[in-house]
Amino acid sequence: MLHIHFGNLDGEIYNPPLYFLHQYEDEWITDSLSAEMIRDVDKSTVVGPRLIDSPVLGAISPRELSGGVKTLILMAHDNSGSIFNASACGDNCAKWILKIAENKDLTITLHNIMKFDQEPFAIHILNTDQVVHTFREYVDAAVMLI
Amino acid sequence: MKGKYRVIVQDKRIRYDFTIHRNITVIRGDSATGKTTLLDMLTAYATAGAESGTTVNCEKNCTVLTGMDWKNRLAGIHDSLVFMDELARFTASEDFAAAIRNTDNYYIIVSREPLANLPYSVDEIYGIRTSGKYGGLKQTYNEFYRIYGSRDSLVYQDPSLVIAEDSNSGYSFFRNIYDKKGISCVSANGKSNIHALLQKSAGTRILVIADGAAFGPEMERIHRLIESGHTIALYLPESFEWIILRSGLLKDSDINAILESPEDYIESSLYFSWERFFTALLVEKSQGSYLRYTKKTLNPVYLNDKERLAVSKVLSPLLDDDAAHSTR
Repeated sequence: MLHIHFGNLDGEIYNPPLYFLHQYEDEWITDSLSAEMIRDVDKSTVVGPRLIDSPVLGAISPRELSGGVKTLILMAHDNSGSIFNASACGDNCAKWILKIAENKDLTITLHNIMKFDQEPFAIHILNTDQVVHTFREYVDAAVMLI
Repeated sequence: MKGKYRVIVQDKRIRYDFTIHRNITVIRGDSATGKTTLLDMLTAYATAGAESGTTVNCEKNCTVLTGMDWKNRLAGIHDSLVFMDELARFTASEDFAAAIRNTDNYYIIVSREPLANLPYSVDEIYGIRTSGKYGGLKQTYNEFYRIYGSRDSLVYQDPSLVIAEDSNSGYSFFRNIYDKKGISCVSANGKSNIHALLQKSAGTRILVIADGAAFGPEMERIHRLIESGHTIALYLPESFEWIILRSGLLKDSDINAILESPEDYIESSLYFSWERFFTALLVEKSQGSYLRYTKKTLNPVYLNDKERLAVSKVLSPLLDDDAAHSTR
């Protein structure tokens, strides 16, 4: 299930792309979910753990992935218990956050109102301890917390 | 600093071409659109100039502000375009807002946060999009686009409720207009109270009238409410004072020239937002005339038939033809 805390949270990783640079592991990149997210969001193809083919930048390393994809990969694979700031992700990452949360309890912070409009879903808003199931319920709750 | 500035940043693979119009610009949008790459290229150029393999063409110096010692660095930056990367946490702080107020730089902030302390315009919130290949087949051409498009594209002429951001002269004028139409008009007493009023009145057709010049921090919140099915329309002129200046009531050749290209007249070190400039301009130009304007209390002359009609013509997107062309 996806748990969201809106606003600042003590101990959150506010800058996940920076954290990623110093913490990622090769096998996180070649994992099928990561490869799929990289293809969808960055329009790039994973060639190997240290090589990605980008249509704009050419051959890049995982260090040059977008901030959004780096954050998604951390959400999927980092098991340190860290809570990542999902405002490093654009709306085009929302469906992937929900997908990652299908298989694990995922807690994130948000400093903006990400567009979660892929109903049906169940999102637990930690600030109010409320579970929302529609985009409208989610927005009605979020606008009061940002 | 005043004026608008075209910026071209490029290397062999990517070219960015955009224009900065005001003291605060915000860039946001989807992941992987090239926001960080733009900042990386600007940083490379700032580090090694043309030897970096990137070029930056702009009439003004372009620099990137990062790191925990941002405040010290900022103190030494003048007459520049200052870019800040996504996830530079300090940009959302009151400290940052205080530090950039009264400075002679323009600031370009990459952030999805509302940045509630900064009075930025709804017009200056941009995304980046690729518009094709440039020059040869190898260079991708990126441009800015306004995320919120036209300011009054969805205006209701027959709302059930009107919420005005203003509580002073602007509110008095709009309440007078809508009282005559039998439509309730309430003041939100400030932009940050609007979303709560919108939720309280959910289910009705609501028109929000606010100062577009400083409404940027509220836009995502209200845009999301609209996307999720709330029946809300927005009318976002620069400010109420801008409407009066546009009405032609004040016969002054300076005013037209200023309204034609405000960026050429509004000094960023004096005015944190354009809204304040337009207020100061209207107060100055109306001084000593029967149209004397104060922000606090509406001069009743603006509710007389002739003056009201002149201002209403500027409001034509809001009003049906009869209301815009008649005061009866």
